[in-house]
Amino acid sequence: MTALLTPARARGLNALGVLAISGVLAFAFADQLLAGHLPCPLCILQRVGFAGVGVGLALNLRFGPRPGHYAIAMLSAIAGGAISARQMLLHVVPGTGTYGAPLLGLHFYTWGVLLSLLIVVGCAVLLLFERQFAGAGARVPLTGLGLTALLLFGLLTLGNGISTVLECGAGLCADNPSFYQLLGPQR
Amino acid sequence: MMSLPFFGLCVALGFAWAGRRAAALVLWAVSIGFLLLLFRLHATDPLNLML
Repeated sequence: MTALLTPARARGLNALGVLAISGVLAFAFADQLLAGHLPCPLCILQRVGFAGVGVGLALNLRFGPRPGHYAIAMLSAIAGGAISARQMLLHVVPGTGTYGAPLLGLHFYTWGVLLSLLIVVGCAVLLLFERQFAGAGARVPLTGLGLTALLLFGLLTLGNGISTVLECGAGLCADNPSFYQLLGPQR
Repeated sequence: MMSLPFFGLCVALGFAWAGRRAAALVLWAVSIGFLLLLFRLHATDPLNLML
């Protein structure tokens, strides 16, 4: 069974993974820019966790699949998931308020916990397929899907960084941000 | 300050693109370390839970 996942197929799966992470970041970004919901500090940190996962998968794209790259994705997902869990526990008792609007019945931080768990389980399952690690270490030229995924993910990570500067300035973000600090209150 | 992990991960991605794996790994580790530090600075309220 482990022969099913060749290095090339693994790179294809990792490209889809980077695209999926880009989708998560893009969705959160769209909610921020189109619906005007500014992310709270913990929400921003959860996005960093997802970006860390993307870096691990991107390393698989560039250098071929390696167990260490999956470890990077898993550790990032655990860090982001812990932050999501903390925010979920802040609001888990009924009547203690929520942050943001729910999506399909769950708030973004609850989705963050579920997605982080899914990433950890997904990476663990992929680690079972050892044939993908044959010939690890060679630099792989980026083309097609992998190149597109990496460019999109890089742009979204950079965009999140710029947006965070606008929202929070040089210090820590406000607990309940209502405007971009560097742009001033909207009239 | 909260944006630094994003920029750190961006640079890590740039190093990966340039074929410099070790530098990318270091930048990722620094960014995640800084993420955890920021989390500690923000997670100040006690949770109202009985575990």
